[in-house]
Formats: sequence, structure tokens, C-alpha cells
Amino acid sequence: MERAGLRAEQPEPLAAGGAAAPAGGRAEWVPLAIIYGLLAAGTIFVAAITPNFLSASNFEAILRNTALVGIVAVAMTPITLSGNFVSLGISQSAMAAMLGFIFLIREGWSQPIAVLAVLAGLVVIGIAQGFIVSAGLNPVLTTLAAGAIIFGIAAELTEGRVIRMGENRVGWGNDELLGIPLEVVWFAVVTIVVTLLITKTVIGRHTVLTGANRESAEISGISFRWVTIVAFVIFSVGLTIAGILNAGGFGQGEINSLSTLTIDSIAALLVGGVAIAGGEGSPLRSAGGALLIGVISNVMVLNDFSTGGRLAVQGGVVVIVVILLELLRRRRAVR
Amino acid sequence: MTTSETTDPAPRLVVRGLSKRYGSVQALDDVDFELRAGEVMALLGENGAGKSTLVKVLAGLVQPDAGSIEIDGKQASLFPSARSQAAGVAVVHQEYSLVPTMTVGENLLLGQVHTSRVWLPFRLNARAREIIAEVGLEGLDPRTPVERLSVAELQLLEIARLLVRDAQILILDEPTAALADREIERVMDVIRRLTEGGRSVIYVTHRLPEVFQLADRATVFRNGRSQPPARTADLNVDALIGMMLGRELGAMFPDRASAPGEPVLEVDELVAPGLAEPVSFVARAGEIVGLTGQLGSGASATAQAIAGRALNTAGRVTLNGDELRLRSHAAVLRAGVAYCSADRKRDGIFFGRAIRENLSSPWLTSVSQNGWIGARRERERAREIAGRFAIDVERLGSPVGTLSGGNQQKVAVGKWLGTTPSVLVLEEPTRGVDVGARAEIYQRLRDLCNEGLAIVISSSDTAEVRGLCDTIATFYRGRLTSIRPHDQWTEEELRREVMHETAEAA
Repeated sequence: MERAGLRAEQPEPLAAGGAAAPAGGRAEWVPLAIIYGLLAAGTIFVAAITPNFLSASNFEAILRNTALVGIVAVAMTPITLSGNFVSLGISQSAMAAMLGFIFLIREGWSQPIAVLAVLAGLVVIGIAQGFIVSAGLNPVLTTLAAGAIIFGIAAELTEGRVIRMGENRVGWGNDELLGIPLEVVWFAVVTIVVTLLITKTVIGRHTVLTGANRESAEISGISFRWVTIVAFVIFSVGLTIAGILNAGGFGQGEINSLSTLTIDSIAALLVGGVAIAGGEGSPLRSAGGALLIGVISNVMVLNDFSTGGRLAVQGGVVVIVVILLELLRRRRAVR
Repeated sequence: MTTSETTDPAPRLVVRGLSKRYGSVQALDDVDFELRAGEVMALLGENGAGKSTLVKVLAGLVQPDAGSIEIDGKQASLFPSARSQAAGVAVVHQEYSLVPTMTVGENLLLGQVHTSRVWLPFRLNARAREIIAEVGLEGLDPRTPVERLSVAELQLLEIARLLVRDAQILILDEPTAALADREIERVMDVIRRLTEGGRSVIYVTHRLPEVFQLADRATVFRNGRSQPPARTADLNVDALIGMMLGRELGAMFPDRASAPGEPVLEVDELVAPGLAEPVSFVARAGEIVGLTGQLGSGASATAQAIAGRALNTAGRVTLNGDELRLRSHAAVLRAGVAYCSADRKRDGIFFGRAIRENLSSPWLTSVSQNGWIGARRERERAREIAGRFAIDVERLGSPVGTLSGGNQQKVAVGKWLGTTPSVLVLEEPTRGVDVGARAEIYQRLRDLCNEGLAIVISSSDTAEVRGLCDTIATFYRGRLTSIRPHDQWTEEELRREVMHETAEAA
């Protein structure tokens, strides 16, 4: 009965000239402002109630803990923007990069060669997934399957043991650049590079347009295959960076080392307000989402929450922010 | 504002001084409207003139700021929609609201107010059969899933849903927008039958010929204001257009070019899904070729095949002598054949993205260097196109979805101006587009042609094809039935040929 009512709220542009229509710029910055506003407000609030929160060392801790998730979430953003949802094989791919690097270093490879070898391996895996997805297979299934295959092979090869670099251990694991931890520097670099790619390059624009409307994109001559493969390559580079940074930091790892990375990065991306169906969002928002989740979990650590409690609260925050963003989106659509 | 004072049958619905404001936009400004028992009142106006706001007020979806509404002489308040329904008002919107996987009977009766809570299938189907017979669907089994119906049957079923509620005031919002001529006749027959039973119909449309075939009177809206209703018998198309635009429209269709040039696109024995016989024709530089026919006639199938959108084709299509690889849309596009489909929301525009991004989508690479977008060049070219198509250049940053349907269509067509195609293929170039924007689109197409492009249009609107095209091919049941220069067709002949009223051995 009421279906007629719902339908009438379709964004049929009402009335003359549309002086009231929102400017495009505004549509872009409102969600961004929300996520960073929440971040600032949350930070101030918890600073008041949590001892030690405002110390420099704690900030460093937050950024460090956020950096890996942030790098992955930002690097995955093009996949989501292009309308290919998310990868469900994040942990496994990052773990493979990490263990692969540790193994090659232990075997005495020089570091640059080891980095290139790991990068090449991950990019090949990425291209394969991109190719399969662009041929029409569901991206969620494809990445889930790829993750399972990678995990299975890694488990066979390591037989579940911890892999160590041994005496060849790399020296830069805890380095800083101008007082900023290395992984935080990489987080910033990845965010800037992916943002530039998305906003300033042809392939970036094509990525967003494909996510906004794949049919229109194809009619306009935009290749879905190329967009998808490039998105998976960018993602693979991000995974490589995250995996190797983690390897350098710990010097050892096993197949379950990064097991929460998948869910954390997807949460960061969604909290940042990247539309899961594609076409809307930015790497900057994913970065903001990662930071917000980082601050929240840090506060809970400082306030002695149990692991279970932390997870529950984290999940609750994801739900609340995603609902907020959805309401905002609907309000804009109705106008 | 004056209301036409009449002693004709008692008015069923009288609206006086209705106003509604959205932010800074005065959607309705002191509007009067009147509807008599048993009449069809056409409600006309350009997009944004206030028609849809009036419909929403009557449907109880929007609360007016001021004004009074009387139904059968009694003051009525129609907000929210439950009250509007109780008062006997019912609306068929442009988009369908049926559940595709459920049957005709279920869609018709489940969830309706006046129906029993316990439904046995045979009772439901018996009742459904009675109701669908009223809208001319006698032959339809109520157990058919809705997804198997044709577009016309869907539209009729939507109307049938209103009858279940015993509504006396029916509002039909562009019920024929997606229908071909013969199906339109069917819907119009049903509407006539309903009014004979005493129901009143408000008929919103962009198709002016229908107004004269169906409506007793017409009310024209312009800029949120109403004009006094006029009897359609006292009007003609030009007068109506004048009332809608507030000025004389020089001409709906631009003048034709001089002699067309060399053949650009040669279609030779083309076979594609939806075609029963091979199709051959030629499009020359500076020429608009119109392919016309009803839904499923093959006109649209031909256009899609040329654009590389068909799954399987046989035969040769050459562009400037080179054979096109019809298997790949991308290859055809690269060769120089641009394409606009009939459904711009599905594959013509990027609804939520900025107008500028929409316009630049096909030619972004050409304003870029080494993969980096030349933002200034992109902006300049987008502004230039927007200027040529009378799209507000100050709003290029706004999402294209905030534009009216006509302006969205201008974007969908205009984006190809930034490229240099040799052939432009368009399907239903002005579906759901208001008169003013329509004339602009026709003029731009003619301009492009004069610059040497060949244009192929497939359209089920015979008036459009007759008015715009240089060469016209008619299609019926997958066959090209006749192809002649425009001056060898009259519109009547064209309509007959398309409906295939002449004898034919099918």
C-alpha cells in the first residue's frame, strides 16, 4: 500500500532551475568532514577521561597500530570505488607477503631483490584475481577463494611453524624518519599516492565512474577489465608494503600473524564512508576510518577493556557510523 | 488567477490557491485546478513547472503551505497519503511498483485495504479476473508471474490496482512513456472506458498528440503557476506549446540540411537478435536516418547491433569503407560510432556524479597527458559543450541527478560532442523529455549533422522521426519494411506502416 509513498521520494528533480541543489563540492566534503570531525571530537572526549592519552608516546602508539590497517584500507579503496566490493583475502595475502619476505631474507637474498620478488608475486596474484573478477566472477567469492588457496599453500609450506629471519634480520624494523615511525611514513605516502591516482589520473576517474555506473562506463568506452585489474594491482602493492613492514618490525611470523587484518581494513573503509557498492568515497576517507578505529581501540586498551569488550565496542562503532552515513546519503537523495 | 466558471457537471475536485515552497524554490504558486466527474483532464507543463508537485499534494505525499482542496463539494485534507486514498484519490507513478516474482492476482489484491485477510487462491484469482477484465486484460491468467508481462500489460495492471480501491479520481503520471503506438491505444481505450463509468482522470503527459485523442480539457502549468483549463477541442498543438513555454516555439524541428554527402555508414545484410531478415541501408555524412517501429519491431535491435551492443551478428557494417567489428562495443566506439541508449538512467549517465565528469567521460583521455587529467582543459571543454546545449555552466560541479529529465538527456547526448565520432547512434533520443529541451536536442543533432556527422536514430515516436529525419526506414516484426526519403512519407502513412495496418503476409 505504502509503496507508492516510498517511490514518490525518488530523486525526481523538483521544480524550476534548482537553485537549492547542493553543489558537487559540498557533497564530497560533507562525509569527509563527518569522519574527521568524529575523530577530533572523540579524541578530545577521551583525552578528558583517559590518563596518558595525550602523551606523545601514546599518539605514536595509535599511529603505529593504525598504520598497517590504514595502508591496506587505502590501497583497497580503488577496488571498492570501482564497484568490486572488497577483498576477503586480505589477511592471507598480507601474510604471504610477510612470510615470503622473511623467508627470502633468511635464505640470504639481498633486501631490494627480496622486496621486488615479493612485490612481483603479489602483483601476479592480484592480476589473476582482477582478471577473473573482470571476466564476471563475483569479487567477494574470488578473493575469498584466493585467500583460502594462499592460506592453504602457506600452511603446507611452513607446516604451521613460526618463520624467523635469523641472523640476517633487517635493521630498519623500528626506524624512524624525522621522528616518525617508518610504517606511519608509509601510511602517509600510500594515502597521498592513492589519493592522487584517484583524483588526478584518467584511470582513477575511470575507476570512480565504473563504480558509479558500470553500464554507462562501458558505453563511454571505459574498460571494466582494465579498471578492475589496475585496482587489484594497486591493492597488491599496498599489501606488499604492509606485509614487508610487518616482517621488518617483528622479524618473524606464522600463518595466523595478520588474521584480523581483513575485518579491520574493511571496517576502516566502511567507517570512512566509502560506498560499498562503489562510485562514492575517497582514499582519504578510508584513512580517516582507520584512524577513528585506531583511536577507539587505543582508548579501550588504556581503560583496561578486555579483548572481547574491545571487539564488541569496535563493532558497535562501525554500525553506528555506517548508519549515520547512510542516513546522510538518503537525506541528500530525497532533496 | 481565474477559475473557469461553468455550469457543466458538478466538479469532483476543486483546488484553490494552492502553494508549496521547497527551500528557495516556489514549486506551486497560488495554483487553481478543477476536475469534473467523468472527464479526462490533461495536466501539462515542462519539467519543473509544478505538475509533479501537484500530483504529490493530491496523493498526500506532500503537505501544501496554503490553499484549499474540495472533493465533491466538501473540504478535504489529503495529507498524509492514507487520507488521500480514503478520499478516493489514486496515483499510477512512472515507475512500476509491482513485485516481479509474484503473480498478477497476488500483486493486484494482496495488501489492499478492502480485501479479506484470509485468501484462498481460487477466490483471489476469481476476484483478480474480474478486475483485470475491466482494464482490458481479459485473456490474462491471474496466475501469471508479473515478470512475464509486457510493458503495456504492466501499465494496465498498475491501473487495475487503482480500481481495487474503488478510487474515483485517478492520476496517471506519463502512463505511456515507455509504450509503443499500438499499446498506447490500448491504454487509452481503457482510460476512456473508466471515465464512461463516471471516474475522473488526471492525465500527465509529454506526448501532445495523446492530449487531443484522449482528454476533454487541459490545464497547463508554467513556472509553478496554473493557467485556466481549456477545452482541447478549442486548442491545437502549437497553442499548447505556446502555453507551456510562455512564448512561441519557432519550430519544434530544425530545418533540414542541403544535400547529404558521401556514404559514411554502410549496413549490408545485417542480421542480429530481434531481426527476422537481413537489413541493409546507408547513412551519408550530414544525414539523419530514422529507424522507426514499435517495441520489438527490429528498429532498436538494428541500432544496437550497429553500435556493437548485440551479442551475435552477421553481415557487414562498414564505416568509411572499413568493416566494423560488431562483436565489441569498445572496438566500434574506437572506430568512431558513438551510442546513446534509450534508458539514460541505466547506461547513459552517472546519476550521482558531477555533470562535468559525465560530460567528459568519453573523452577524458584526450584532455590528459601521460594519464594525468588536464583539469583546466577538461573544465573548458565541458563548459563549451554545456554552453552549446543550454546546460547551466555554473552547475557543472553538481550531480547530474539534480537536473530535470530533459537536461539529463542533454548531458547523455552532449557528452559525445567532446569526441569526434563519424556516426552517432541514438535510441529514443527524447523519451521523457519536455518540449523545450526536445527542440534543443533536435537542433543540436541537426547542427552535428551539418558538421558532417551521420546520425542514426531509432524511435517509436513517428512524429519525431517524420519531423527530424532525412531518410526514414520502417520496421515491423524484425523486418525492414520500407525505406524512403522523408518527403515521400506523410505522418499518417508512417503511422500506418509502423502499425502495419496494410495487409502483410507475416
